Amino acid sequence: MAAAGDTIGVRTPRRSLLGGRTRESLWGYAFVLVPMAVFGLFFIYPFGYAVYISFYKWGILGKDPTDHTASLHNYSVLLHDPIFHTAIKNTLEYTAGVVPLEMALGLSMALIVNAAIRGKAFFRAAFYFPSIASSVAITTIAIYLLNSDGLLNHLIGSHTPWFSTASSAIWAIVGLNAWTTSGTVMLFYLAALQSIPTDVYEAAAIDNTSAWRTFWKITFPLLRPAHFFVLVIFGIGALKIFDQAYIVSGGSGGPNYATTTAVLYIYREAFASFDFGIAAAAGIVLAAIIFTLTTVQWATIGRTRNL
Amino acid sequence: MSAHATTEPYVPRVETSVIAGRVFKYVLLLAVAALFFVPFIWSITTSFKSIPDSVNVNLIPHPWTTSAWHDIWANYDFKTYIKNSLFLAVTITVLNIVLAGLGGYAFARLRFPGRNVLFALVLLTLMVPDQLRLIPVFVMLTNWHLIATFKGYILISMITATNLFFMRQYFLTIPKDYEEAAKLDGAGYFKTFWRVMLPLALPAIAALTILQFQGTWNDFFWPLIIFGQGSPKLYTVQLGLALLRFNYSTLWPQILAGSLIAITPIFIIFVFFQRYFISGLTTAGVKG
Repeated sequence: MAAAGDTIGVRTPRRSLLGGRTRESLWGYAFVLVPMAVFGLFFIYPFGYAVYISFYKWGILGKDPTDHTASLHNYSVLLHDPIFHTAIKNTLEYTAGVVPLEMALGLSMALIVNAAIRGKAFFRAAFYFPSIASSVAITTIAIYLLNSDGLLNHLIGSHTPWFSTASSAIWAIVGLNAWTTSGTVMLFYLAALQSIPTDVYEAAAIDNTSAWRTFWKITFPLLRPAHFFVLVIFGIGALKIFDQAYIVSGGSGGPNYATTTAVLYIYREAFASFDFGIAAAAGIVLAAIIFTLTTVQWATIGRTRNL
Repeated sequence: MSAHATTEPYVPRVETSVIAGRVFKYVLLLAVAALFFVPFIWSITTSFKSIPDSVNVNLIPHPWTTSAWHDIWANYDFKTYIKNSLFLAVTITVLNIVLAGLGGYAFARLRFPGRNVLFALVLLTLMVPDQLRLIPVFVMLTNWHLIATFKGYILISMITATNLFFMRQYFLTIPKDYEEAAKLDGAGYFKTFWRVMLPLALPAIAALTILQFQGTWNDFFWPLIIFGQGSPKLYTVQLGLALLRFNYSTLWPQILAGSLIAITPIFIIFVFFQRYFISGLTTAGVKG
């Protein structure tokens, strides 16, 4: 290919002592050098390092000098720690609550915006709007709306401080995040809806199928790759819930551990109890849960030829 | 659909019930849409209320006052927080553009031994959750004296696997003719990338810029870990707001004013560049 430049009047391609392929390889390595160094140092190496730390007594000053043998001590502590059990339960309850809600709301909003209505851009922007705000700011606004004298209680005639009542706190966070993230879910569904070819609907229209039936028989099944994508991405996101729980509880995970999520538990073990060994072990348990659930989803509903 | 009605001499009559149905539909839609922005409007007006008035649910303050804004501006160093957040968001975004561009281009176009293995590592990186690397990264940064420094945060955020993957996918869609033309002109690999390919990837860069800027500006987790134990001089807007919220507890006008400070810059960017938010998210997700 390089010989093509050797015609008269055209500048000759650079020649070097190295062959073309070697030069290309060297540039390739140069281009990926910094990204690969960062990924290796701060993502892949820490994966192994976390496993290592989880086998030792490890405080804020580093590895306990008296602890020479690797053991599963930290994992056995977790196994018997009722607070950790609560944290896992809260995290799973939150995920089981928020993901279906986000999907239902996101899909409904996508159908509205995708329908033949005026002002599509306005509605799309309005629905997406809460997604752009920072978690801290939006949580603060939600705390105000849901406080004992807030707007919600005024409307329903109650005085429940939703975020600081043990029985409702995690569900209030479910509501908050369904509100803020369903706009993002909508965008994914919208892209998927627009990729469905129109002729399938034309066939349904000829058959005089009702809109309701058309949706359940045609649209919903055709959206399967999008359902899967949203379930996996937002499911993983939900299992990592931290910011909102931290802000509503002032970092304590209270009342009575009601907002202690798995990541908040890890944070508190590390930076309130200064037990890095336990925190690292808890991180590995959570990663294992995320990995298992994702694999199960992949094996059950993800295996279509579209994916 | 009915845009050409003005040029037509005859406008077909529409049944009254159809009009009523349509009005109902839009009223309902507006009500749903209102759920999404009324809380923000409520927060704006409440930030201009006096403390005793702030527990009332009236939308319009009585009387209007800017005392909450004065209070937080005087007692919290929001000027510094904004400066810190801007500095970090701009630096991290620029680094991500350059590094994701370079890496994405190499993985999309350049052939070098081990490329597939390295790319598999990039995909692996996508799967390492933050809470797993939290402890080791904190320990490493502490050992290298990079905890409570901007350098530490920039170092771990200067390139993300998501961004690199996104740029690679975009470069794959650009026809090879452009590079071949550049090569015929005698341009080297770096020059081809910098002068030809990067400008062609401008739509992807726009989406990446907005999402990364928003991501860094809104980030709470890592700044909390890296700057949380240090001096408030290093706080970002989100950390400052969290501090404000914990100290002021139920002083609603103050904490809502703080929230609005945290939201406004992203809101302005959203209003002007809305389509990049949307295209960036969906292409990164669906094609990725």
